[in-house]
Amino acid sequence: MRKNSLTRRRSLAGLGSLAAPPLMADQPPSLIGEPPGRIAPLADLVNVLEFENMAARSLAPAVYESIAGGDRRFFDRITFRPRMMVPATQLDLSLELFGDKMFAPVIAGPVARLQQYHADGEAGMARGASEAKAWMVVSGESSQPLEKIVEASSTVLWYQVLLDADPSAIRARIDRAVQAGCKAICITTSAPHPAARRPASWDLIDQLRKGLNVPVLLKGIMTPQEAETAVKRHIDGIVVSNYGGLLTPGMAPPMETLPSIADAAGGKAPILIDGGFRRGSDIFKALAFGATAVLVARPVVWGLAAYGAAGARQVLEMLQTELARDMAQTGKPKLKDVDRSVVKLHQA
Amino acid sequence: MKKKGATRRAILGGIGAGIASSALLKSQQDPFRDHSRVPGIDELKTVIEFEAVAYAKLPREAYTYTAYGSEGEFTLRRNREAFDWVELVPREIAGASPANTTAEILGTPMKFPILVSPSAGHSALHPDGELATHQGASAASATPMIVSANASFPVDKIAAAAPSPVWWQLYPQQDLDRTKDLLDRALAAGAKAIVMTVDQQASYYERAIHDRHLNAAPLGGAGRGRGRAPASTNPYRIQTTRLWYNWRYVDQVRKMLTVPIAVKGVLTAEDAKEFVEHGCDSIYVSNHGGRSLDYDPSTLEVLTEIVDAVPARVPVIFDSGIRCGSDILKALALGAKAVCIGRGVRWGLAAYGAPGVQRVLEILQAELVMAMNQTGRPDLASIDRSLVRTHFL
Repeated sequence: MRKNSLTRRRSLAGLGSLAAPPLMADQPPSLIGEPPGRIAPLADLVNVLEFENMAARSLAPAVYESIAGGDRRFFDRITFRPRMMVPATQLDLSLELFGDKMFAPVIAGPVARLQQYHADGEAGMARGASEAKAWMVVSGESSQPLEKIVEASSTVLWYQVLLDADPSAIRARIDRAVQAGCKAICITTSAPHPAARRPASWDLIDQLRKGLNVPVLLKGIMTPQEAETAVKRHIDGIVVSNYGGLLTPGMAPPMETLPSIADAAGGKAPILIDGGFRRGSDIFKALAFGATAVLVARPVVWGLAAYGAAGARQVLEMLQTELARDMAQTGKPKLKDVDRSVVKLHQA
Repeated sequence: MKKKGATRRAILGGIGAGIASSALLKSQQDPFRDHSRVPGIDELKTVIEFEAVAYAKLPREAYTYTAYGSEGEFTLRRNREAFDWVELVPREIAGASPANTTAEILGTPMKFPILVSPSAGHSALHPDGELATHQGASAASATPMIVSANASFPVDKIAAAAPSPVWWQLYPQQDLDRTKDLLDRALAAGAKAIVMTVDQQASYYERAIHDRHLNAAPLGGAGRGRGRAPASTNPYRIQTTRLWYNWRYVDQVRKMLTVPIAVKGVLTAEDAKEFVEHGCDSIYVSNHGGRSLDYDPSTLEVLTEIVDAVPARVPVIFDSGIRCGSDILKALALGAKAVCIGRGVRWGLAAYGAPGVQRVLEILQAELVMAMNQTGRPDLASIDRSLVRTHFL
């Protein structure tokens, strides 16, 4: 009997405890023994990486291309230093940021025109994020009107603006977002978008902020010098980002620069980060390096593309769960306990 | 079918010696792939070969349970990679007499510094379960066995199945009476030491869950989705039964015992020191074979940190990733006093029952002796860090 079930495919898929099946490996994300093109039931997926393949099957190749891949090699250079016998029954992933309580330090990041991935678009993403109790950054290039997105949401929304128009037009968008209920403005200092390749000047940023009563974050900071200046100019928050490597291929991953940026900011402004986060352990490492929270963009879009709001929710919840396991098992049951002593950076 | 394969083989074989080592040819000749013959036990010369036989003989779930690591299995892979980061530096060619490998750990004398790691549910691998494991271990120069807290048979039955020494593994139990009861049962069965496992509080095995999905009907149905973790009351959906662990419990267990206690799952110098301060007699460096927390370091790369942190009287035990005698020698050189074998023993048991366990252990013992002879180390006392050069990242 067994002989029949031991097909070549199964042997190749499973033999060798050293090699996980390809399904579990980061690349390529193909499902073993699954009919090609099939979208697996949502409950069958065991990690965030698997959503990518489901998204690829749900989208036209050119559309999928815009959210494909991601580089998380740097995370493999960091191991944990877990401490034992630390009670974690009061495990708590929550934090307070800009006066609101965040359930867990995982935020759905801004991605342009979500309706190209799923008909429910940004409203679907807002619903999924809300169900996962995660905050969301609404893209300045949304495919649905902001009011519709706000209506679908019961979570904290931030609004992302691109510097792709004249200052008064940008300011008008900011005012509209604040009026619609967005709790913070995230200014993208440069983006992989031809129209947005206008260098941000501090004067322009000051001009946009003037009289605003919500916090302003700068997204795209990649050097400690920029972070220092931002803090001096009373910027409310920093998002370390290289736009998923889209802008300048070959640039150091945000994680590599995070510790120096966190040092430069010196705790005077919260540091957020995006770029390649696919695992709770990736997020845990960013927190250990000094981040306050992490933005995930492509993975939530994978979830949305394949399963709508439920998929986006599942991606966010998986990351929360994995992060919780890491905090429990490293003996760091509260976010404030997560510091550099719990990780070790290795050479490449 | 067979004829066709033989033809291809013949063609490939004829291409010439240059291709003899190619992966393509090897796969053609692989006895476990192109037909289902189970090789005789004497045909297997190394421990890793037992995995293929175990795989061929086991139901998928039982194989997977033995194979997997937690989450993305980074630590599972790193455990093996780490042995490649350590070089053996031979001193001189030894004399004719084989190396002396006798040791004594926590009052248990051993012919080799090798024990059987605690691992759960051996009856999933072989009908005789841990009874066969103990018999096989005992036949291999009385190798001591650490009996799992989650064994398929009661500890007294396992202990009575063969004469080699038995230690018993404790998973912390919040209920002290239950702890005492379990310990008493193990001690009454003759356990010479207690190994308390302190890691794996909230682990997750993606490969196991996939298996359950893949074994269900291919296009949906009632069976699908069974692999999801049971509903948890925790807001983050993680298992909570082991989150209460605390240092007071270590003291309480220590007080209950008159036999030595080793603490298994230690990966930092800080914890090693603290466990010693709390009265633990031995530190057992382990990442649960990559099954506790993914992105734990490999045990080999943290071994010296821990050895250096504890007093010389505290023996350090090592596991996670050992597959051959030179692996054992590397761990001993970096300061371990003994090593434990988990998966290798399980493969041996699954493949051939008690004789398989015996054979796996004897291969490791013989390889260790050979490695000591080849590096000019006549006994365990002569093994020190000068035997290795490390290239950890």
